[in-house]
Amino acid sequence: MRKLLTTIMMFIFAFVMIYPFLWMISTSFKQPFEVFEYPFQWISDQPTIKYHENVWTGPASFVNYYLNSLKISIISTIGAVFFAAVAAYGFSRIEFKGRDTMFVVYLVAMMIPNQIIFVPKFIMFNAIGIYNTHMALILPGLFTVLGVFMLRQFFIAVPKDISESAMLDGAGHFGIFLRMMLPMAKPSLATFAIIDFSWHWNDFENALIFLLDKELYTVSLGLQNFVLENTVDYNGMMAAATAGMIPMIIVFLIGQKFIVEGLASSAVKG
Amino acid sequence: MKLNWMRKQQLTGYLFIAPNMVGVSLFIIIPALFSFFLAFTNWEFPLLKADFVGLSNFKRLIQDEVFYTSLKNTLIFLGSVPVSVGLGFLTALILNKSVYFKNALRTMFFLPYITTGVAIAFVWMLIFQPENGPINSILRSLGIDHPPGWLSSTSSAIFVFDIIWVWFLLGYNVIIYLAALQEVSSELLEASRIDGARKLHTIRFVIWPLVSPTTLFLLMTGFIVSIKQMGIFQAITDGGPGNSTTVLSLFIYKTAFRYYDMGYASAISVFLLLIIIAITAIQWIAQKKWVHYS
Repeated sequence: MRKLLTTIMMFIFAFVMIYPFLWMISTSFKQPFEVFEYPFQWISDQPTIKYHENVWTGPASFVNYYLNSLKISIISTIGAVFFAAVAAYGFSRIEFKGRDTMFVVYLVAMMIPNQIIFVPKFIMFNAIGIYNTHMALILPGLFTVLGVFMLRQFFIAVPKDISESAMLDGAGHFGIFLRMMLPMAKPSLATFAIIDFSWHWNDFENALIFLLDKELYTVSLGLQNFVLENTVDYNGMMAAATAGMIPMIIVFLIGQKFIVEGLASSAVKG
Repeated sequence: MKLNWMRKQQLTGYLFIAPNMVGVSLFIIIPALFSFFLAFTNWEFPLLKADFVGLSNFKRLIQDEVFYTSLKNTLIFLGSVPVSVGLGFLTALILNKSVYFKNALRTMFFLPYITTGVAIAFVWMLIFQPENGPINSILRSLGIDHPPGWLSSTSSAIFVFDIIWVWFLLGYNVIIYLAALQEVSSELLEASRIDGARKLHTIRFVIWPLVSPTTLFLLMTGFIVSIKQMGIFQAITDGGPGNSTTVLSLFIYKTAFRYYDMGYASAISVFLLLIIIAITAIQWIAQKKWVHYS
């Protein structure tokens, strides 16, 4: 009985947690005069899909923003996972001079806030001509520090004798990395890939600073632009916000198990 | 033969690390070092000349009222971290043992953490809308005639960000605490109950010390993630009304990319990095004094 009561109370609390999402979806199907009506109704009396249609087919269509975000997020994530896995293998399975010193450099790099590198990156990207192109987001996105940490944790946990016996059979590090470690690390790679994708998809700051032309905008930037241009179109705003969140909700529902376990193990053991 | 093998090993190691190392150096480490240099110049974009001005950017900083305002706002914003960590601990404690549908609840709590970007910021903006937003409608129906102006008022705007941030961080705190609670042995918990220790006593004197490494981890990573956060401020209020929601990270962004005062912006960002280093240092010291490792 007591457990049932606690469960109900926790569901009320959890409802508050997802309330903004429900409110957003509900409002996106409403008429303008219903947005702030009180008492609140979850389902509109005159539901409309007009605002969702506008997001995809209207003059301020999000299709282009979507394609831009997908392109940037997918390329960055694939690159980030690959480069992080290679480096994590080097840091965990190969012994060589200077390795630990270099790892300390990584530890320090983790602390560096984005704000301190924006101005030099702005200068650099102007100089090499990638300011105001997608490369300005993709190129730095290929290299992560945190991914190296997460995957290194995993590689360290793999028993050494597995790779040592392969080595006696004549396999080199590249062979072991490709044929043994990568297949074994699939769950960790998936965890990191999901988290990394969410960073790129939700990234707003880099897009804000390094993209100027509207055709290049990502979903986050397009959304802000929409809000600035249509300050009172609340239904449209919520339809656009819903559209912007769909990929993350799909990724979340598919990969939740990976994310939860991956984050938990890297935090508790690390 | 042996020497040859070692040299080969060395080379292989470098080859594995090189691609990521080059990228991280190029896009993180070298730019950060360059900012230290810029902080001592008066460079303004897009001028081609810059003079070395010594410490004058830092002198300007300690006389700048906006700097103190944004420092204060940053501290108020960071207040959301311990609140969210504490709430996360209690939530995890309850979810761990005393509910049905534990996984469904965990999913609901965790949803904000992974899906939050600028999109949800605009949802919150409408929820806190002062005239007719759902929160103030509820407050009015509860008999509060003059509910807060939330984002439109200089005295309450920053606290809206605290609320959003507690909400955002909570799911992460809950899953990390849930993982940590799995490590607390149930025998230990049972033993203290047999001893007659009451439930709250057990939580305070048995569980809380045992999860203290997790608490410290969540506080420190929470502080560092929060101090870097700029997007939601830029998107929702752009630092206003007045400067009441200007935090350090937004102050840097505006100085650099609205006023193109790159030297001064670099000086502020160096200060921000110093705060992060200080937080990390405190973590190292606190780890020795406060945290109990079993």
